[in-house]
Order: sequence, then C-alpha cells, then structure tokens
Amino acid sequence: MPKSQYVDPAVIRAKSVIKFKDIPVNQYDKTIEQEKENFSNDDFVRIFRDMAIICEFENMLNLVKTTGEYSGIAYNHPGPAHLSIGQEASSVGQAYLLDRDDFIFGSHRSHGEILAKGLSAIEKLDDQELLEVMENFFEGEIVRIITKNKKYNTVKEMAVDFLIYGTLAEIFARRTGFQKGLGGSMHAFFLPFGIYPNNAIVGGSVDISVGAALFKKVNRKKGIVIANIGDASIGCGPVWEGICLATMDQYKKLWEGDMKGGLKLIINIFNNQYGMGGQTNGETMGYEFLARLGAGVNPEQMHSERIDGYNPLAVIDAIKRKKQILEEKNGPVLLDTVTYRFTGHSPSDASSYRSKEEVEEWMRNDSLIEYRLNLVKANICKDVQFDEILANVKELITSAFKLAIDDNISPIMDMKKEPDSISKYMFSNTNMPKMEDRVCDVLMPKEENEQVIRNSKKIRTAFQNGKPVPKNKIFAYRDAVFEAVIHKFYEDPTFIAYGEENRDWGGAFAVYRGLTEALPYHRLFNASISEGAIAGSAAGYGMCGGRVLIELMYCDFLGRAGDEIFNQIAKWQAMSAGLVKMPVVVRVSVGSKYGAQHSQDWSALVSHIPGLKVVFPVTPYDAKGLMNAALAGTDPVIFLESQRLYDIGEIFNEGGVPSDYYEIPLGEPDIKKIGKDITILTIGATLYTAIEAAERLEEEFGLSVEIIDARSIVPFNYEKVMESVKKTGKVVLVSDACDRGSILKEMAQTINELTFDYLDAPPVVVGAKNWITPAYELERSFFPQADWIIDAIHEKILPLKDYVGQNNFTDLEMIRRNKLGI
Amino acid sequence: MATPIIMPRQGQSVESCIITKWHKAVGDQVKEGDVLFTYETDKASFEEESSISGTILALLFKEDDDVPCLQNVCVIGSQGDDISAFISTTTQEIKDEVVQTEDVVIESKEGVLDQEAITSTYSDKVSPRAKNLASKLSIDYRLAQATGPKDRVIERDILKMKEQGVLATPAALASGQALPANGSGLGGRVIVSDIGSQDVKAAIITPMIKAPLLNTSGYREEKISNIRKFIAKAMHTSLSTTAQLTLNTSFDATELMEIRKKLKKEKFEFNITLNDMILFAVSRVLKDFELLNAHLIDDTMKYFDHVHLGIAVDTDRGLLVPTLFNANQKSLVQMSIETKDLAEKSKEGSISPDYLTGASFTITNLGTLGIESFTPVINPPQTGILGVNTIITRMREVNGVISTYPAMGLSLTFDHRAIDGAPAARFLKALTSALENFSILLMK
Repeated sequence: MPKSQYVDPAVIRAKSVIKFKDIPVNQYDKTIEQEKENFSNDDFVRIFRDMAIICEFENMLNLVKTTGEYSGIAYNHPGPAHLSIGQEASSVGQAYLLDRDDFIFGSHRSHGEILAKGLSAIEKLDDQELLEVMENFFEGEIVRIITKNKKYNTVKEMAVDFLIYGTLAEIFARRTGFQKGLGGSMHAFFLPFGIYPNNAIVGGSVDISVGAALFKKVNRKKGIVIANIGDASIGCGPVWEGICLATMDQYKKLWEGDMKGGLKLIINIFNNQYGMGGQTNGETMGYEFLARLGAGVNPEQMHSERIDGYNPLAVIDAIKRKKQILEEKNGPVLLDTVTYRFTGHSPSDASSYRSKEEVEEWMRNDSLIEYRLNLVKANICKDVQFDEILANVKELITSAFKLAIDDNISPIMDMKKEPDSISKYMFSNTNMPKMEDRVCDVLMPKEENEQVIRNSKKIRTAFQNGKPVPKNKIFAYRDAVFEAVIHKFYEDPTFIAYGEENRDWGGAFAVYRGLTEALPYHRLFNASISEGAIAGSAAGYGMCGGRVLIELMYCDFLGRAGDEIFNQIAKWQAMSAGLVKMPVVVRVSVGSKYGAQHSQDWSALVSHIPGLKVVFPVTPYDAKGLMNAALAGTDPVIFLESQRLYDIGEIFNEGGVPSDYYEIPLGEPDIKKIGKDITILTIGATLYTAIEAAERLEEEFGLSVEIIDARSIVPFNYEKVMESVKKTGKVVLVSDACDRGSILKEMAQTINELTFDYLDAPPVVVGAKNWITPAYELERSFFPQADWIIDAIHEKILPLKDYVGQNNFTDLEMIRRNKLGI
Repeated sequence: MATPIIMPRQGQSVESCIITKWHKAVGDQVKEGDVLFTYETDKASFEEESSISGTILALLFKEDDDVPCLQNVCVIGSQGDDISAFISTTTQEIKDEVVQTEDVVIESKEGVLDQEAITSTYSDKVSPRAKNLASKLSIDYRLAQATGPKDRVIERDILKMKEQGVLATPAALASGQALPANGSGLGGRVIVSDIGSQDVKAAIITPMIKAPLLNTSGYREEKISNIRKFIAKAMHTSLSTTAQLTLNTSFDATELMEIRKKLKKEKFEFNITLNDMILFAVSRVLKDFELLNAHLIDDTMKYFDHVHLGIAVDTDRGLLVPTLFNANQKSLVQMSIETKDLAEKSKEGSISPDYLTGASFTITNLGTLGIESFTPVINPPQTGILGVNTIITRMREVNGVISTYPAMGLSLTFDHRAIDGAPAARFLKALTSALENFSILLMK
C-alpha cells in the first residue's frame, strides 16, 4: 500500500481496451549454414554429443527398469526413473549458453537437464576450476572412484565421467552419489555446476526458483535462474502463485536504485504434451498454446513465446534472446518449449493414452536423427563420426554404470555401522549470525529508528513496584519480536523479510512497525497473497545461502503453503545430504476471535513433518530469545505466535526482557512456576490458563502446582519434564489445539513411556474441542479454560474434596466423542 | 448465666474423645482450675479443667461415652439457670453425628477428598507410583483405601496407610500372601508369623470399616529437636555397632531399705536415696571389674583409673547423661549431693557440656516408674550400662519357712565384644552382694 502510487478513479474507470502483442510460435527458422557464424564445427558436434549422452543415459535406465540389465550386466533398480528420451534437444539447447552462475531448477524428469547443464558448465570452466570442484566435493571421494582404474587425457573428460557417475550413483541411492543417495532420481542436483534441486512435486520448482532469483537480485549475484517444469504443472496453484510473486509490479515500480527492475528468471515449460496420462492440450487444459498464458500476467506478457524444443539451435537462440531481456532487468520470461517424451511417464506406464502412430511420428522427428542429418548435409561432420561418438558415449555410460552398481566401490549407506547417517542431515544445527560478511543495506542508523527509540522508553516488565504497567508503556510481546528482527536486519546483509502487509502497515499485528522506515524495499516487502509462493520462494532464497523471515499471518493459512513447508522447506537439508542449508524462519500467528478459519493451532501438523523446528514462545522474554536463536541458526523454524498475547508484558523472567542480545536455545522447556503436587505442561497461550487454574488449585485445594511452558515443540528436551513428573507423579497437558492428534498427545505418550513407574495417573491432555472454532462469544466452550483443567484433574488424576466438575471428562464421554468423531 | 463446657479438640485429626472419669457431679461447686473430667483419645489421656467457677448444672454424657469434639459436655452456672438450650442442641447434634459416623468423611490437611473407601476396601488397581511407594514402605497396597479415579489406589492412599501404621516387614511382604491388617511386629508391622493367624479377608476389610482407624487419619509434623537427633543417632549407633546383650538379676533390698528408714528416723540431714546407694555400690565394685569401667574404641580398650559414672536423667528435652566424675573417691553423702545437683542442672538445661561426656559406665533408673526389667542401651564407647528396676515383693523359702522380701531388679547391658558373659555375671553377683551387705560396704 505505497502512498506514492495514487489509485486514480478517473484512470481506473476510463473506457479503453487492452491490446496484446503477438505471441511468437516457433519463429526460429535459421539453417545450419546461417548459424555457422555463431557456432564452430566443434560446437555443433558437441551439442550432438551432449544429446547422445543424455539419450544413452536415459536408455540405460529404461533398459534397467524394463529388462533388468544394460550391456549384458544385470541390475535391479527399485526406485523411480522418469525418463526424458525425446527431450534431449530442449535441455541441451537450454544449457548451452549457461554457466555455473546460472541456476536451473528442475522436475521429476530432469536427468537430461542435469547432464546438459553439467556438460555445459564443464565446457566453460577451465581445468583448474574443474579440478577444484571435483576435489572439494565430498573431500574428493567421487573423483577418487572414477580415477582409480582409469587414466584421462583431459580434465574435461574426467569431469564428464565425474558428472555421469555422480548423477547415476545418486539415482541408484549410493553413498557416493551427489547427495549420498538421499536425493535420488527426482531430487538429484549438483550446486558447483549451477544445477539446483530438482523436484518431485509437480511445479514445485517455480516458487523456489523465484526465491533463487530474489536471492540473486537482492544480494547482487551474477547469473540467471531457470525453473524447468512440465506443461501439466500449469494446472497447479503454487505455479501461478510463483508467477504472480515473480511478476509483481513493485520490482519495476517501487524498488529503488540498482534494485529497480524485473527478476532474472525464466519459467520454462518443457511442454512434452502430457501430464502423466493426461493430454494437456485438448484434454486437461484449455490454453491451446501454452505460451498464451504469459499474456495475462503482465504488460510484457512475460515475453512469452513457444519455441521448438526439437531443434537445439532454436532453443539456444531463444535463451540467448531471453537472457538479454533479463540482463536488461525486464524479466521474468515465460517459455513454452515444445518437446515430446518417447517413454511413458515412468517405466510402468504403457502409454495407453496415446497412439503408436503418434509416438512413431515423433521418433521420426527425433532431434538426434534430424540434427545429425542437418549437420552432415551442412558438411559439419561426416556421418561415420557420429557413429563413433555414439560408440564412445555407450562406453562412457557403460563404465559409469559398472562403477555405480558395484557395491564395493559405490556402497549404500551402512545404517548399522553408522546409524546416524541420515539423522545427522535432518538439521544443520549451526549458529551463523550472518550468512555473508558485508555491509547491510539500510536507510538509517538503527538508533535513529522511531520504533527503536519508542521501545527504549518502554518498561520491560509487566509489573513495576507491584503495579501493572499501563499498556502503552509496556515492552510487549510484539516489541520483543521486533527487537530480534531489527537486530538481524542490521547484522546479516542477506536477511530479508516479506509476507502480506509487512511493509507500510507493519504487519497485521504491528510487529514490524518502524521497519519500513529503516529498510529499502528489497529487504522488506509486501508479497502477493500467495502463501504457497511466499514459503516456496523462501525455500529457494534459503537454499541459495540467504536468510529469510516470512510471515503467514494466520496459522490457518498454513494449508495454503502446505507443500512448500512440508515438502520443500522441511526436506532440502536432508535430501541434499547437508549440501544446502535452510535459514528460513516462518512466523505463524495463532488467532482467536475470528472463527473457524482464523483461530486454529496447527502445531501438530508442522511438528509431524521431519525437518522442521517448531517453537511457540508466549512471553516477551522467550519470544525475543527464541527469535534471536531461530534467526542465528541455519535450520527452518516455524515460529508460532499467539494473537492473544501481542500486548502482553514479561511477568516471569526476573528483570523483564533484556535490551541486549541474547538467545534461548531451541528445544528447552521452561519451568514458569515451581510446585510439588502436580505438573501442568502447556503449549502456547494456555500457559496463562494454567496459571489461573494453578491459583485456584492452590487456594481451594492446597495443591502445589508446577507449570512448565514447552516453548519449543521440535526439538524438545524431556529431561525437565521427566524430573517434574517424577516429583509430582501427575501431569496435565494443555494447549489451544484441537485435542485429537494434537502434539500434546504425542508428548503425553512420551511422558508415559519415560516416567511410567513414577506416575500416579496417566498423563491427561486438555485440548480444544474437535469442532470448528466458533465465534468469540462461544470460545469459552471451545478453548480449554481453567475449570477444564481442574475438572480433568478431579476426574482423571486426583479426585478433589467436595468438587463438582462442570465439564464431562469421563471415559464414557471420551468413547462417545471418539465414536462420533467429534 | 449457664455456660457450657465443650469437649476440646486435641489436634486436628481427633474427631471425638471418650470421657473416662467424671470428677464432679451435678450440684458440685467448682472453682476455676478444678478438674472436671478425664478423657482420652486413642493415644493419650487428658484432664479438662474448669474455665469458670460455679455449680455443675448438668452432665450431658456418661463415663465411657464417645463424645464428638466441640460438643457440650456439661453446663456450669448458678442454681436455677436455664440449661435447656444446651441440652436440646447437644442431643440433636449427637444424633446427627452418630448417623454420620457410619461413613466418616476424613479431611486431610491438603483439602483433598479422602474417602469413598467404605465401598472400595480392596483394590487391585494401583498407580505405578503408589505401587512403588508401597513397596518402598513395605506396605501392602491391596489394603489401601483407593481414592483415585476408577477405584485406583494412588500415592496419597499409601501415604495415608503409612501414617496410620498399616505396615509389614519386607519378609512378610515377600511371602506373597495376603496380609492381615494388624501385625504384632515393631510399630504394628505385620510380621511373617502374623500371616495366616487370622481370617485374612476379614482382616483386610475390618480395619477399613472400623471407625477408630479412620479417626486416626490426621497428624501433625514437627521437626525433631537437635537433642532428639543427637539421641537418635547415638542410640542407633550403639545398637548397630556393638554386640550388646542384657543380664537381669535382683537382690534383696532389705538392708538398703533398713538403712534408709534409719536415716529418715534419725532425721539425717541429707536425703540419701536408693539410687544414691546403688551409685555408691557400683562405684566401689566396678573398680574390680575394669572391663566394664572402660571404653572400647576400634581394637583398643581404654581402662580408667577411676570410676566416672554417667547418670541417665529424664528431662523435658529428652534424655541427658551427666557424669559424676571420680565417683569411687566420693563419700555417699558427697555423691548424693552431687548427683542431685547434676540432675537438677540437667533438667534446668544449665548443665555444662563438659559434664555430658567422659563417663566410663552408666546407670539408668526406671525403677521409679515401676519397670521390673529392661534392656538399657549402651552409650558407646562405654562397655556397660546398668539399669535399675523397681522393687517388688518376692517370696522365698528359708529352712522350710516361706517369707517375703523386697527384691530390687538390676539389668546389666554389656558389650560382648569387650567382655564375656561370665565376667559380666560375676560383676552383677559382686554388686548384688555389696548391695545386700551395704553397711559392710560402707565400712570399707
């Protein structure tokens, strides 16, 4: 909502028409003869060689999957193999002009792109650079394997073997693969050649690549970014969200100085006509020409065009032109690269959805045949030489195949000898205050910031001289989060924050008030309402080496970002065997008062997904300390907040909230109140409900209550809780999350196992009802109240004298509710 | 104006008391401070003194009545005062109380419900915590009154049993058999021999219904005094580190009593007690039995040149043992004076700590309390302690003639590590001989 741009009703309401420019379709029509000025003979031939390598690589996998052998060597590959035979020209053409600074992101069908981009990078790097890459990668383990029994004439030859072997070993889940076998066929990549993660989620690479392009722009890095997706992914919402986020007007209209201008991003669709068995043009989509879609996105129509992916030279030509547009900061670009796959979606696909004639006709048009013919015709090379190339390629692939399936040379992870082989990659667990060491782009010294000044005058405890501090003077929860965030903005130059209403408004809950004045657009901006793309782009920004804080506003909107948080942010550290880090913090606010779609605590969902850290601080002291720790780490952290608490001051920590920097380690629960008779473990705002219950239990029943605030959910150190439960023998767990499947159930079960012999009663969970969250007026019947806690204790743990409960915690009621699913 | 006297509440846990004796009857004049009646709880007996002066107008309960605490017990006033108000409310309330005692609700200080019980007297459901605690305390959890959810025995139920004293020895527990509720072992612990000695099932159920048991639920906790801690430690050390045993004997106290009588008759200026005379005899005889006038420390015996007699004194604060140094060098009168002085100062608390150590042998006297025989506990590193018992009349036959004589008991505990049974017995023999011929001893 920049005030600088006036929304003029006279303009908005004026009569006119929208004019579209023509969208080019397969306009490339140069001959080899005409291209001789751009390519040497060797270049022409090398393009063929690269296509041949991809073709044979995929052919080998196809034979392994369908016949169980290749070159007479038997092998069983149980994992996936989504092959791109037929698409070689499109990937080689795309990669031809790209170097290591240009990043590509792919799909489940990206073996060809990996090889093409790798071969292109090898061609462009000098021997020294190549040796460095190979020797530094996993301490030279792969290069030692390929050079053990083979002498190479050139470093480039060695590098080609390195690339093929590393990719294949990865596909075969070998410990010697590019990601130690943790990525596999659909997630293989190799960062030193600019090959970024491929993605098994349809269209998953789009928003990630937007994040990568943001990283390059904000941090002034060289190179462009290409997202390679399939035609069917155009039906996926997050793809559109990614496109929207990539084409926001603000890059060109509001971002300033050298930041002004579009993202250097090509969203390239390898349009092979099918999404699994669905025919996109004619059956499952309605665009007729996929390139049409760019026209609706922005006035530049995303410079969209259809290019002939069966002609490598046509693709190279397109990339050359589009790169130029990107360099002129006029991106992003949408490319509809038409192509065709000969094999099915996967080897198990019998292609029952297409005719034999259709496949045969495309095979007759195969680029390896057509391009070869054209080169021979143009006297670039004799036909027999191509046979030699093919024979060499076969040998190349065969030798890599032999190495990759040899269990002695290329073992899989030994999970018995090294049981933590995978677990050690789940989190990077590093403390890295800044991701890069350089000056931070800011608009003013921090001390001059109005909000910083305002905060410095606030009282940092909830009570002063025994009296509550007035709301407008108190250093509240929101100020604590602000203090941690602004600290990071002035420390880590890569650090950016975005989400909905983050700039100008200062966030829907005013946490970022004052940041707009301190930061240029490229470090704090409003995103399109695209939770999926906000989260997905953060994954891309993070894996490229930047630190990012995004905000999803309401926890209920997590669903909108489900894939990006569950499959992308959570997974890439481990799927990369620790090669990428994910310094991404996601602020998620748990609401209340706003009904069924704005009041849910979904901590259980995020905690269930391996690879995410989850915290839920509920006091200003904890909020600042945990936010500082989250922002100093390199792991993804879901930072849950409660809208009930933004105004609250610090009542627990003696001395209130320190103004200096401090971190609270993730995973450590905190005893908020010491007691001896019963333990209450809380997550979220129910800490305050528990305090209320404890006061009643002490006054009316003489029970001394110990209250532990979980603070973190993943990781979680049970030792303090165990100690408490061993002491009291009784534990109630409380949170605002719906009771069924809440993370409290998990904790109750763990406490049960860990302290069974000390328990005087089973741990009891008091959660919200398994209903929709009703209106504020009815919330007291939905969210746990103090008397629910007392009722539960009375009914299930320790009957209280003369107490009559108001809420039904009996077994019968439990059974009834479960029977009904409520 | 008529004023009611109520049954006092002796501690929070006491629900009712039994009137054991009325000291006044209706119409008696009482002054403030006069004892009105004696009453008792299951643990102790008390006397209720009148808080006012006047005439007893009514006794509302008879002797042996179990009276709920705070109920009116009698009315004092002037003849002619109207007392109907006290009588009617009292009886009504008592009726209520009687009904209520059928299912007594016990209030523990936590304010947590503590009952149910009557219907759930035997439970196999037990929380792991309660089970572990029961095992640690050697309590059979099956005897607990389950007050947890679903009739589950929970921690507080075991704690309550502990407080009520339903305990068993580890051996009895290990037998795996159902245990009777009351045992004959230490502190009422059920011991192995109690098992099967009664109808087990009845025993399990009975104590749960018995009101008196329920009525003992309350308690109060007090930190023990330092002197108590010291005594506890000393006693425990003694029993756990020495090999002590007790020999009992008695002697004819005729001559001692004769001497006392004579001294009284002569109006001797000093009050020589029996105890003084025993101290005197011990101080003289012990010189010949150095093994008992010694300390045993590790592997070394320390023999004393003189006899330093420890004298056990019962004080308000607990047992104190001042020392009468060089007793063997003191005359009977001197001893008598000094002993009284030591006892006095011990009771006052003004005794110098110097006098509380250094004894070579100890004498403890429970005879004044009617004890006929006991096992005194040695005060290490001393090797012996003599217990003085009461005098009882015994019969004996001399030359076909049955006659009676006053027999005074002596109980000698000695450390078998330091001295064998025969020499210890010989000491007792020499001592009884000296006491029976006390006048000869005096002449020595």
